[in-house]
Amino acid sequence: MTIRRVLIFAPTLVILFLLQSYLWVPTYEDQTRGNPNRLKEYITASIGDAAILNPILSADSASSDINTVVFEGLIDRDEELRFRGRLATSWEIYEEAFFYVNEAANISGLGIAGAEEVLVLLQKAKTQDYPTNPELQASLSNIQEISIVPAKEFSVIRHEQKKEDDTGPAEVKIRVSAPARVKLCLGRVDQDLFQNLSRILGNEYFSSFNGQSFITVDDEQWRSKRAAYAQEILPAIEHNPIVVFSLRPNVKFHDGHTFDANDVKFTYEAIMNPKNLSPRVPDYEPVKRVEVVDPLAVRIIYKRLYSPALGTWGMGILPEHLLNDDALRMEAARLGKDPDKFSMRQSSFNRHPVGCGPFVFQEWKSDQYIILDSFDDYWEGPPNYKRYVYRIVPDLLTQEMEFYAGTVDSYNVQPHQVDRLKDDPKYQSFSGPSFGYTYIGYNMRREPFRDPRVRQALGMAIDVGKIIDYLLHGQGERITGPFVKQTDYYDQAVQPVPYDPQKALQLLGEAGWKRNKEGWLEKDGRRLQFTLITNSGNDLRKAVLAIAQDAWKQIGVDVRTDLLEWSVFIQERVDKADFDALILGWSMGIEPDLYQIWHSSQTNPHQLNFVAFNSSEADDLIIKIRQEYDHERQVAYCHRLHEIIAREQPYTFLYVTKWTAVLDKRIMIQETDSQGRVVYKKIQPTKTGNYSFYFNKWIKLPEVPSFALDG
Amino acid sequence: MRFVHSTTRPSRKREDTVLSFIGRSVIQKTITLFFVSIVSFLIIHLAPGEPSQVDPLNPKFTPEMVERFRKEFHLDEPLHIQYTYFYRDLLTGKTVSWKDNQSVLGKIWERFLNSLPLFIVGTIITWTLSFPVGIRSAIFRGGLYDRNATFFSYLLISIPGFFFAYILIIFVVTQFHVPVIGLKTFGIGDAAWPRLFMDRVWHLLLPSILGATGGIAILSRYVRSQMLEVEGQDYVRTARAKGVPEEQVHYKHALRNALLPFVTMFGLILPGLIGGSVIIESIFSWPGMGRMAFEAILARDYPVILTVNFISAVLVLAGTFVSDLLYLVVDPRIRL
Repeated sequence: MTIRRVLIFAPTLVILFLLQSYLWVPTYEDQTRGNPNRLKEYITASIGDAAILNPILSADSASSDINTVVFEGLIDRDEELRFRGRLATSWEIYEEAFFYVNEAANISGLGIAGAEEVLVLLQKAKTQDYPTNPELQASLSNIQEISIVPAKEFSVIRHEQKKEDDTGPAEVKIRVSAPARVKLCLGRVDQDLFQNLSRILGNEYFSSFNGQSFITVDDEQWRSKRAAYAQEILPAIEHNPIVVFSLRPNVKFHDGHTFDANDVKFTYEAIMNPKNLSPRVPDYEPVKRVEVVDPLAVRIIYKRLYSPALGTWGMGILPEHLLNDDALRMEAARLGKDPDKFSMRQSSFNRHPVGCGPFVFQEWKSDQYIILDSFDDYWEGPPNYKRYVYRIVPDLLTQEMEFYAGTVDSYNVQPHQVDRLKDDPKYQSFSGPSFGYTYIGYNMRREPFRDPRVRQALGMAIDVGKIIDYLLHGQGERITGPFVKQTDYYDQAVQPVPYDPQKALQLLGEAGWKRNKEGWLEKDGRRLQFTLITNSGNDLRKAVLAIAQDAWKQIGVDVRTDLLEWSVFIQERVDKADFDALILGWSMGIEPDLYQIWHSSQTNPHQLNFVAFNSSEADDLIIKIRQEYDHERQVAYCHRLHEIIAREQPYTFLYVTKWTAVLDKRIMIQETDSQGRVVYKKIQPTKTGNYSFYFNKWIKLPEVPSFALDG
Repeated sequence: MRFVHSTTRPSRKREDTVLSFIGRSVIQKTITLFFVSIVSFLIIHLAPGEPSQVDPLNPKFTPEMVERFRKEFHLDEPLHIQYTYFYRDLLTGKTVSWKDNQSVLGKIWERFLNSLPLFIVGTIITWTLSFPVGIRSAIFRGGLYDRNATFFSYLLISIPGFFFAYILIIFVVTQFHVPVIGLKTFGIGDAAWPRLFMDRVWHLLLPSILGATGGIAILSRYVRSQMLEVEGQDYVRTARAKGVPEEQVHYKHALRNALLPFVTMFGLILPGLIGGSVIIESIFSWPGMGRMAFEAILARDYPVILTVNFISAVLVLAGTFVSDLLYLVVDPRIRL
């Protein structure tokens, strides 16, 4: 019966055909034997795909993984997290400071003084000794040149949005007759300059300068905003830090074009171009202008003191010749699009990037892989690997399986797998603390969290050590403050809050909370009761939620908990500051700028100081840290800020997780020594735990090499 | 002449009814599609969450930038204006993804081509396997084979797909040490084409088996019950009574009639083309349609979500339309 035979043979044939394909697939061992080039390829996997391969436009981690190897910045950070030159060979930071001559102020011993007299006074002060005032002495000796910017008249046009109607921006003409200004050239950036100079010129000299009297607003309607305009156009004092980068000669882009200062200027302008919607605008907003000094030098002048600025130049530099207006217009014309609306965001460059980094972009298949090849003309010499493959494997377990099957070369181990994989003889493993921490934040607008003793007591009631041991499988470390633990901004001397429920009860007692008959803490007849929330979808936070609730219940705190979907959690609760306490985490960069998270001006809805931490001492330090260009001093300020925050406990700082990565043991560092011999070394992590720092020297060997000396 | 005349009339009548059926259903389906487009648009825009470009918790994003993105994406306009903007772009083929500025239709086409082999192999496995399994169950109803088949069917229906996938992957990788994820083996290099082809077939095997398991379990149950129903009919008993051999009774008289409802099911698998399988594609990092839609939802990439939504609505409606038509063609008893 044919039908019956067909019904039986068809599925058998299909299945046999599919199964025999197994015989063709290479196993772990065969992959390198059958294809020697596999040793020169590095394959890594990521959960998510890149979005846009343009360093000034990307905001996701996958894109930045690729952008950092395709593009090169002016500087980056070395093994010790200090800055080191890449496209820049060296740089110099100094300052130009200005102040308007205040002819209304009375200078002691001089009276009312004009520009010339102030100049003479300062020059004289420079030659004198101030043994009682070393700060002033230091500020004065730092002044290298004093000059006068003569008074001048000019007019400015501001665009204002009318409130009543939507007729578009109105033009406001402001006439300014600026008084003379004193210009000070400083050898290094000095944020205390004017504070110190006021010892000579008088305490009120700068603050009493009345800019309003020098401007005239013609339009009646806007006259009320004169004070704001004056503040903007005629600030009494101004710091203009300046960075001059000397650029590396003969660096080539992947298309052979030579890199020069115009590319740096172009990259800055592209970021600031509103058409491009670059997420990096806030980093470069403090820049006043970028000047090309010569093809190998670029001068960046800042509007104000902003010490995180130097770090922003680690961003990849774009090739001007491929993305300037002419190039974009040509591309728009080719695609038949409106050249006026066509921006860098629409350019196909973002899927075929050209930079001057160690790897050249080859191919990108969305949600599959991105392939890069080594760049033979890389200024530091080409990397050992010929090819870099970035696979997108959205599932962690399959990533692990691909690692075992040999089609991915590295794997980021989950905390519960660390014990199993760490000592596996087939792999080498690395681990270190990550750049971020998890915390419980208390809304200090609300009772009972206004009292620091309550916050401390709540922290003491939780056994963080156990959370790390059992929840994180030991893959975590305690953290006591807001800085990245492996940087020197973090003060290792600050002790974590101890686990001590008795002491917690005692503190709460001091704050007026006593246990009632049922065992609940009470004050003025009201129970100590609040709700602790976090977002759903994060199992660790959910577990911490339950642990904290239980720990607090044991000392008599009535805690309710709630899990909310991420966007509801953020929009309805965090942004509107509508919560008692919450569990959340921050991931951080190396820069110690804490303005957005801890400054008291950032407590409004949608801002990040949602716990409403408010300390004038801390505010002062945060500003100082932001403005300090000297590393040692910055570290000192950071340590003090760390101490204040640890004392105030606006958060209960819980832990920083540890990452562990495993690599095939056959991956080694290959170097050529001075005699031209090839030497292999084991991969060693840097002090900060970065194992891929020497990635460009990595190579995979056919066999696991044996090291007699260092085992 | 009279004879011819009398026969053409009813046939023309049937033609008319078919035409009017087509006309009516096209109009009905267009109206449905319109409402679907409104409802899906509303659901996606009213759901909490914002596109990742206007993610407010990234400290680097200032309110002005978020505002600019809003403007760029027309998110500052009232919903009905956004709706017209979106469907105008979609119908003129100009929709671009917010995530990477790529044309949405281009992206969907690329993904569709990736999902297609998975869909085809999965369908072939499902349809070739279900029939023999179901028919045998029906013939030996109540026997050991039937009971086993029932047990495994329910097992396969109830086992969660992702769990089964993990078990299979772990088993294959740890026992056979071969890669199974993705479209092909990474780093296979420039091997000969039969090898590359077979490598791709191997990578198709696991996901399509997983995609097919649920289908086999359900479809073989259908086949069994259809067969049982038909075997109880009078004409089958008549055939037996006439002395037709058992085999011919089963495969000729019973099977042919039992097949009728399955013909129409072909129309209904059409939407599966675009739906893909979110779970299987994500686990196997298969760059298909389902995964793209899922990731678009996570990133709140509205243009992609809405376009996929719209196309699948069109396919569902087209699928029911085709199956109605097939019914009409294969079963003359159906009146409209």
